[in-house]
Amino acid sequence: MSKKVEIQVDEKLVKEIALLARLDLTQEETEMFVSQFKDILDYVSVLNEVDTENIPPAYLSSANKGLIREDEIEESVPTKEFLANVPQAKDDYIVIPRVHIEQ
Amino acid sequence: MELHELSIQQAHELLSSRKVSSEEITRAYLERIERLDPQIKSYVTISKDFALEQARESDQRIKSGQGLTPLTGIPYSAKDSISTRGVNTTCSSKILENYKPFYDSTAIKRLKAANAVLLGKNNMDEFGMGSSTENSGFFTTHNPWNFDHVPGGSSGGSAAAVAAGLTPFALGEDTGGSVRMPASFCGVTGLKTTYGRVSRYGLIPLASSFDTIGPMARSVYDVALVLEAIAGHDPKDSTSRIEPVQQYSETLKKSENLHGLRIGIPNEYFVEGLAQDVEFSLRTAIKQIEALGAEVVEVSLPHTQYAIPVYYLILFAEASSNLAKYDGVRFGLSERDGDSLMDVYFKTREAGFGAETKRRIMLGTFALSAGYYDAYYLKAQKVRTLIRQDFQKAFETCDALITPVAPTTAFRIGEKITNPLDMYLSDVFVVAVNLAGIPALSVPCGISNGLPIGMQIMGPPLSEETLLRIGHMYQSQTDWHMKHPPCWND
Repeated sequence: MSKKVEIQVDEKLVKEIALLARLDLTQEETEMFVSQFKDILDYVSVLNEVDTENIPPAYLSSANKGLIREDEIEESVPTKEFLANVPQAKDDYIVIPRVHIEQ
Repeated sequence: MELHELSIQQAHELLSSRKVSSEEITRAYLERIERLDPQIKSYVTISKDFALEQARESDQRIKSGQGLTPLTGIPYSAKDSISTRGVNTTCSSKILENYKPFYDSTAIKRLKAANAVLLGKNNMDEFGMGSSTENSGFFTTHNPWNFDHVPGGSSGGSAAAVAAGLTPFALGEDTGGSVRMPASFCGVTGLKTTYGRVSRYGLIPLASSFDTIGPMARSVYDVALVLEAIAGHDPKDSTSRIEPVQQYSETLKKSENLHGLRIGIPNEYFVEGLAQDVEFSLRTAIKQIEALGAEVVEVSLPHTQYAIPVYYLILFAEASSNLAKYDGVRFGLSERDGDSLMDVYFKTREAGFGAETKRRIMLGTFALSAGYYDAYYLKAQKVRTLIRQDFQKAFETCDALITPVAPTTAFRIGEKITNPLDMYLSDVFVVAVNLAGIPALSVPCGISNGLPIGMQIMGPPLSEETLLRIGHMYQSQTDWHMKHPPCWND
């Protein structure tokens, strides 16, 4: 049986996760998530009752075993069609703001 | 009989004998959508010009008499998570509001090859996250039976469109009940297919190990016709099953009774919290199925109570990974008013995702993060194994299982939206099927206070033929699937 994990759900934790998830939460959202996280994590902790000693995790969803196919050459998407959905493009390249900022 | 009242089979007969054209049928649906959908709000995109073009092509084909399929010239709609070339595919999210795929999903490609006519795309909970369509980034769909109630979710727009006569059939998508639950709430027939029976290529993913595309229509027979067209292996989806697709509709034509089938009733699905009217309808339906010759026995699925927490933990994790790609760089919304690439990520995702989507991304990121992975994600995957084993054991002695789809009829708009946990619990009878990857059919089996009730028929992997046969025989003896909401005659 896996050991019980004690978690302090507070604004600090929620802000840390938001950073990992690349979400710029408002203060109102942060506060709402703190209270809802507590409820939801409390609810899922019921799984601690289940004895899963020697039970393998159910990772594989596919019933196909060792399925392979020929690596055939196909026509790829025309660049123009692909770029139609790109927010900003120039000369067939995707434009993004600078990655490094001098401090 | 009005054109929108025709079943797929009836429409096919009129089309192939050239008593009516695909353009006439398509125009009749487009006219109904224009007139009735402003109240129901089941469509996010109506592809009118494209539909008429496809309809005329079908009419040409019918004229030439070559390569006719049961779906030639038949209109349909698709959940907005299923990619359609040149037609907006938004997942009802602001982050994909103007996204136009440059390719068709395999399911759509196959319907195109069968000359079916795409009317438009249906509203849903954003990325499939919800049980009511209230989480759509655009608007809430109304239940055609009572506009104050939800249609269920997340394929709520597809179910409402079928129920209101705004399409003869729809493609839905089921990750944790998203075909069956709205089918039950709207009084239509919906099939959650075996994981891998229908290719996921071009389906915008929510939780990749659960997601399945499935048909929603007005009868089991119509569902069977659609399944025949879309099922089968696809080299572009390595998880799609290689087993040949059966001729489901032929089986249905030949079946006369349910002799020789053993059907299990899991105790754990008839518990406290199941509304009396739903239980009464289910018990009545089970008796009718017994009268058709099936043997009915009690069975146990002992880990049922853990299905919801297992489902949601795995869903949070898979969804947060799948939604990492919406970053404002290659497609979709892009907020560019910051100084750096990091600003684009944060501002785009904050502006583009709705509250439930953010909540699930947050919970998934948490469940997968260092220090918590073993306690949440890994634990859930282990209990998932136990839930699968419950089903395997039950199917050693039974051909199918019958349960309710939802514990109640459709709830009111606004009733559960402020309490996410309460909303999650409405999925209590549907999520285990996705954990096990098995098929399940939702069939109308009653009406209470003007709202439909659904019966769920589950079976082992690739048992679609048996499930459809049970549903079809039930529909041959009952007329719940022939009942329509008041707006049907408008």
